[in-house]
Amino acid sequence: MRTKWLRLLALLAALSLVAAACGSDDDDTEAGSSDDTAESTDDAAEDDAMEEDDAMEEDDAMEEDDAMEEDDAMADGDVPCEEDDVLCVGLVTDVGTIDDKSFNQSAWEGVQQLGDAGAHVDFIETQDSVDYGTNIGTFVDQNYDVIVTVGFALGEATLEAATANPDTYFVGVDQFQGEAVDNVAGLIFPEDQAGFLAGALAGLITETGTVAQVLGTDLVPPVVAFKEGFDGGVAYTNPDATIIATYHPGGLDVAFTDPTWGADTARQALDNGADVVFAAGGQTGNGGLAEVAKEGGEAFCIGVDTDQWETVPEAQPCLVTSAMKLITPGVVDIVNAWQAGDAPSGNFIGDVGLASYHDFASVIPQDIQDQIEELTPMVLSGEVSTGYTP
Amino acid sequence: MTTTSPAPTSPASAPGSARSLLGRVRVDYRILAGLAVIAVAMIIAYQWDSQQTTAVAARTIREAAPLILAALCGLIGERSGIINIGIEGQMLLAAFVGFMVASSSGNLILGVMGGMAAASVAGLFLAWTAVALKMDQIIAGTIINIFGLGVTSFLYVQGRTMPSVPNWPIPGLDELPLIGSMLFSHGPLTYAALVAVVVVHVALFQTRWGLRTRAVGEHPSAADTVGVRVYFVRYRNLAIAGMLAGLAGFALLQSASVFNRGMTNGKGFIALAVMIFGRYRPFGVLSAAVLFGFFNALQAQLQFRQAFDIPPQFFGMIPFVFTIAVLAIAGLRTRPPAAIGQPYEKE
Repeated sequence: MRTKWLRLLALLAALSLVAAACGSDDDDTEAGSSDDTAESTDDAAEDDAMEEDDAMEEDDAMEEDDAMEEDDAMADGDVPCEEDDVLCVGLVTDVGTIDDKSFNQSAWEGVQQLGDAGAHVDFIETQDSVDYGTNIGTFVDQNYDVIVTVGFALGEATLEAATANPDTYFVGVDQFQGEAVDNVAGLIFPEDQAGFLAGALAGLITETGTVAQVLGTDLVPPVVAFKEGFDGGVAYTNPDATIIATYHPGGLDVAFTDPTWGADTARQALDNGADVVFAAGGQTGNGGLAEVAKEGGEAFCIGVDTDQWETVPEAQPCLVTSAMKLITPGVVDIVNAWQAGDAPSGNFIGDVGLASYHDFASVIPQDIQDQIEELTPMVLSGEVSTGYTP
Repeated sequence: MTTTSPAPTSPASAPGSARSLLGRVRVDYRILAGLAVIAVAMIIAYQWDSQQTTAVAARTIREAAPLILAALCGLIGERSGIINIGIEGQMLLAAFVGFMVASSSGNLILGVMGGMAAASVAGLFLAWTAVALKMDQIIAGTIINIFGLGVTSFLYVQGRTMPSVPNWPIPGLDELPLIGSMLFSHGPLTYAALVAVVVVHVALFQTRWGLRTRAVGEHPSAADTVGVRVYFVRYRNLAIAGMLAGLAGFALLQSASVFNRGMTNGKGFIALAVMIFGRYRPFGVLSAAVLFGFFNALQAQLQFRQAFDIPPQFFGMIPFVFTIAVLAIAGLRTRPPAAIGQPYEKE
């Protein structure tokens, strides 16, 4: 009898861990609406439930930081960021790694270009979403001039740090600025336009008349923009096509890091008769791409954010193109403008576009390629409406 | 003492053996009734929309496979008297080691074996803490979970790829309507899960290994009296169970084709619920896992067809709410093995 209760208790505890993980996503959305009190209580609850995990992850983070500091010890010692003539650019990643083949990596490549041009650059990989503020603070304490924070989820922490440190300039990738703050530039993209072009292509190349979307979460506005734009694009070139789309049912902490779900859902979409799958959702989407690739050319897939031909090689058998956000040049442009004394604040709109067709250049009929080429400037200029309203 | 009577001859387990004999007949009857209902429902759905029904059925089995394997890992452990809440960690370790081995060797077989070995070692660790250290098994399981998440997150470097696990449609059978896509067009690990259900069932109820396992889980001192080496059985079974958790971890890679931090996403815990809901029986585990798989398939399908304008998070919640409801109802009626969670003290 006793053991039974013990078991139930253990299971409940286990479930509460899962629940806590799910719960935290909603916190993040609330954070987006800048509800400070709600956020702090929620965070406290989350801290309680995740005590053990946090303790562990902090250990990890510390170890990793230590390792990193060893690497960069000399550089840190040699380049005093207090001096005015040295440009120091720091980058804080979203949860994930610097070489994630996606956002973090694209932004870091931009920062590295600045490094090649003479700036002192460094990055911190965020291990847990509770560390956003701390990681930004690390760079602030070292007197970095420009701090790049990558991802929608860091928006709140970035604004807080910017308000507290008016002398430091912040670049928030994918962070929409509701009210312009002088020392923050939010690098955002018209994802709906990229999605529209991808959808237009999908509408033209589908043979079954069904196209599918495997998406991250609708809690993140850019994902919704991609989806709505894609819908518009398909309707523009192929009004009769059926569009089937699914958002990941989890929250921010799992929605982009669940390749198993992405793959299973992509397979289900194929079983529903789809022959083009647009996968927009970080690792989740990448799982979907890899699954479609198993069809060996029978079905097409379209990647997102970066040219996934390079970043997800296992998807090459199906990957016709990617709906790209050009993060790397966006970051460079903003920092260069800041250096030139013309610092953008508020929202800075970067460029989007479709990636190269690579091997599929010979598979996709020339007239379709021409149509897309013709359509591209019209969409990017706003002449053709994507049908998405934020 | 002769071995004419089964090992657990103490008063506590004597009715147990009679019950299991009767119980098997009763369960068979209920399973038949349940299968009939499901078959009718599926045929009706198939008539209504063959494509959607097929897609949901296929996803259901695909999604159930890792849960089945993980729950069977828990089942063998508990039948041997050791609570294993470390399945989540075992799966994660297996997925990580499996991915790293498959990625560096380019060989999937080696990857599977690496994953199974890793999870098996974790199982042996659990057995060691339970048998040798007589530690609280819940705590030991938690250690495995925390270790699994921590060490894989720390060691994982992005940018590696592994060969993707191919689908193996079974020629001839996969062309069958509905059943073909549902049962015969999956990857090897999905088949492994279905086969494992039968193998574990037969092994548990028809073989000497199974009898000894159950004896050790129900009444270790009685088993010891007739010469069953309780400690040895527990070590061995936890190692075997770990291999199943290893397959479960690799089953995640079969879909994802890539490792990701924390990619189990609580599946190891859901597997525990599946095991309890399945009343510590392999076929019970199969039905419970299929039910969970079905809810996941359904939520995606409803979104695909925009059946309702309800936030996706609502559907995402259903399996978890269901888990809690099931545990509240089934958990109270289920009788776990009697000696579960208790360290065995040899006299």
